[in-house]
Amino acid sequence: MPRQVLRLGALAILMVASLLLLDACSRDSRPGEIRSAVSQLPQTLDPRYATDAASARVNRLLYRSLVDFDEHFRSTPSLASWRVLSPRLFRFTLGPSGRTFHDGRYLTAEDVAATYQSVLELPDSPHTGEFANISKIEVRDENTLDFFLNEADSNFPARLVLGILPAELIARSHDFSRQPVGSGPFKFFAWHRSLNLDRISDKQRFVFEEIRDPTVRVLKLVRGETDILQGDLPPELVGYLQKQPGLHVQESEGSNFAYIGLNFQDAVLQNPLVRQALAHAIDRQAIIRHTLAGGSRLAETILPPEHWAGNASLEPYTYDPEAARELLHRAGLSLPLKLVYKTSTDAQRVRLATMMQAQMREAGIQLEIRSLDWGTFFDDIKRGNFQLYGLMWVGIKTPEIYHLAFHSSSIPPKGANRGHYIDRKTDELITVSDWPNATARIHEQLPYIPLWYEGQFAATRKHIVGYQLKPDGSWDGLVNVKRSKLKSVFPGKNTLEGF
Amino acid sequence: MKRWPYWVLGFWLVVVACSLLYDMQPDAISLEQVLAPPGKSTLLGTDDLGRNIAVRLAAGAGVSMLVALAVTAVTLTLGTMIGLLSGYCGGWVDRLLMQVTDVFLAFPGILLAIAFAAVLGPGLDNLLLALCMTSWVGYARLTRAQALSLRQRQHVQAAQSLGASAGRIMRKHMLPLLAAPLVVEATYSIAGLVIAEASLSFLGLGIQAPHASWGSMLRDGVRYLLVAPHYVLAVGISLMSVVLAVNVLGDQLRDAWDVRRAKD
Repeated sequence: MPRQVLRLGALAILMVASLLLLDACSRDSRPGEIRSAVSQLPQTLDPRYATDAASARVNRLLYRSLVDFDEHFRSTPSLASWRVLSPRLFRFTLGPSGRTFHDGRYLTAEDVAATYQSVLELPDSPHTGEFANISKIEVRDENTLDFFLNEADSNFPARLVLGILPAELIARSHDFSRQPVGSGPFKFFAWHRSLNLDRISDKQRFVFEEIRDPTVRVLKLVRGETDILQGDLPPELVGYLQKQPGLHVQESEGSNFAYIGLNFQDAVLQNPLVRQALAHAIDRQAIIRHTLAGGSRLAETILPPEHWAGNASLEPYTYDPEAARELLHRAGLSLPLKLVYKTSTDAQRVRLATMMQAQMREAGIQLEIRSLDWGTFFDDIKRGNFQLYGLMWVGIKTPEIYHLAFHSSSIPPKGANRGHYIDRKTDELITVSDWPNATARIHEQLPYIPLWYEGQFAATRKHIVGYQLKPDGSWDGLVNVKRSKLKSVFPGKNTLEGF
Repeated sequence: MKRWPYWVLGFWLVVVACSLLYDMQPDAISLEQVLAPPGKSTLLGTDDLGRNIAVRLAAGAGVSMLVALAVTAVTLTLGTMIGLLSGYCGGWVDRLLMQVTDVFLAFPGILLAIAFAAVLGPGLDNLLLALCMTSWVGYARLTRAQALSLRQRQHVQAAQSLGASAGRIMRKHMLPLLAAPLVVEATYSIAGLVIAEASLSFLGLGIQAPHASWGSMLRDGVRYLLVAPHYVLAVGISLMSVVLAVNVLGDQLRDAWDVRRAKD
C-alpha cells in the first residue's frame, strides 16, 4: 500500500514537472527579441542565387547594393552614386555609408567588381542573363569603378541591385546561402529552425519563424508568441485580426503583380483568339471585391500605373463570357475547351483557381486544376512543362522585367520567358526601351493574362512601434521598428497563465 | 434508442440518394455569400467560395460511401479468397501468401496509401487503388485463422472423404461459417475507410478541387476556424456521426452473432 502511494506521488510530481516544463517552453524565452511569423523562410541567403520572394526580402536586410529605389521606383544611390561618362560607360563612386562587412572587412570597389564578375561567371546563377550586357568591369581605385557595356543602356544603374559580397570570401567559394556576410543593416546570427538576425544599430535580435498554417500564424500573433505578421493570409483572417484588441493592422495598395502564364508551345494557346477568350473569361473585379485583401486592384501589366514606366492607358479586359465563347468559336474550337492550370498547394491559390475555374466554365472553358507542391510546381514552370500557371511577380522595380519575362532571348535558363513567347515586334520595342508601346503590345498579345496587384497588410502587436508597410511587401520596415519598453515589464501578460 | 445507428446511416443514405437524383450543384460558386453563417437561404451556411455547405456535405457523403463500399467489396472478396486458400491448402501456399500478407501488414496502412497516392498522383481512381492495396490484409488474416480451425471440423472432413472438390468445400462448407465474423470486420473497416478517404483528401491526395469530399472540406474549414466555425463543425459532426454509427453497428452485430453471448 505505501509503495503504491509512493508510486502515485512520484507520478504526480513527474506530471506537474512536465507540465511546468511545457508551460515554460511555450513562454517567450527571450523577451527582448522581435519575432516574425512567415509562411515561408528563404531558400537561400546568397543573392546571386535568390529568386523566391522570402530570400529577396531577407537579402535586402543582410546586404547592401549599389543602387536602390525611391517610392516612384526611380533608381537612387545606395552604396554608390554614378555618372554617365558615355552611353556605354558608367562610373560608380562608393559613398561613405554601409561600407563595413559584418566580419569587419571594409567594402571596396574590388568587392563590387568581384561580386558582379562572379555572377557573370557562375554557370548556374539565374541572374547571369540580367548582366549579359556588361563587357568589362574596371576598378580605378578603392572607391571608384567603371562598368563598360556592350550596348547603350540608359537604365543600366537600375539593374545593379545585387547585394555586394566580400571578394575574399567569393574567391574561397564561401557558402553564402547558409552563412551570409554582407554590409546591410542586419547581421546573420543563426539559422536552425528559425532564422535569427541581429540589427547592427542596436543589437536587437529578430527571429523569423516559418509557420505554414495561416490560422496558426494568426493565433500565435493573438497569443503574443509572435510580434509581426505580414501578408499571406486570407482576407477573412485579416478582418478577424482587425477585431482583436492589442493588435495594430495596416493595409495598403500593393505592387505585386498576379498573373496567369500561358505556354506558347501549346498549339491551342498559340492562337491569339484563345488567349483573348481566356482574358475575357475571368471576373477579376468580383474576385478582388470578395476574396482579396483590402488594397488589391486590377492590373493590366507587370509594373503598376504609378511606376515611371507604367502604363495607365491600357484598356482592361472586361469579364464577358459570351464574348469569350464567341472568340473560341472564331478560333474554330469545339467547346468545352479543356486546359490544365498549375498552381501551388497554397490554399488561397487553390481557392482563386477554383473561382476562375467556375467563371471559365461559363465561357465554355473546362479548367483542370493541378495543385503541386512548391518545388515540383516551380520546376515545371521553369522547364516549360505547363499549359497555364498562376504566379506572382514580387518586388519588381524596373522595366527590365519586360526583357526578363518577354524577350525572345530570355527563354530559360537565360531568363524568365517561361512560356516561350517569341514576338519580333515586342523584342524591338523592349530593346529600344519604348515602354508605353511595349506594354501595349504585350497587353494585346497576352503572353500573360494580367490579374491584379495584391494589396498588402501587416499586423503587429501594440508594443511594436514604427513598423512601416511597403507596397511590394518587403520587410524593410524592420530597420526602424522598435519594441516599446512596456512589454518587458510584464513578459507573461499575453501568454496563458498557469495551466 | 439502441437503433440510432440505423437512423443515422439511413439518413445519410437518403441524403446520398437525393444528391444522386437531383443535381443540387455542389460546385456552384457565389462570391457574394462567402462564408455566410447558417441562415434562411442556406441550412448550414456557405464555404469560402460561397458554396452551400449542406449540398456539398451531401456530395461528399456520396464520395465517402462510394469509396467505403467499393473498397470493402473488392478487399472483402480478395482478402477472403486469399485467406481461404491459405488456410485450407496450408503448406507452401500458406507460407507464401502469409509472407506477402505480413509485408503489407508491417506497413502502417494509411502511410502506404499516402505513398501510393503520392506516386500515382492524386485523384479518385488512385485513391481507390491505394485503399484497396492496403485494406485486404485484415480479411485475409481473419479468414485464414478461421479456415485453419474449420478445416479440422468433422463436416469438412466428411465432405473431403465424399470426394468434394476443394472449391466446393471452401464455397459451401466453410464460407457460410465465416460470414458472421467477416461482416463484423467489414463494418469496422467501412468506418476506417471513411476516415482514410477523409485523411487522404485532407492531405490533398484524394478528391481534387472543386469536387466535394469531407476531407478536403475539413481542410478548408480549418483555415477559417476563427471566422467561420460553422463550416468545420458541420463537416466534423457529419464525419463523426457516420463513423460512430458504423462502429456501434459493428459492435451490435458482433454481440448479436456471438454464440456465447446469445446463450445468456
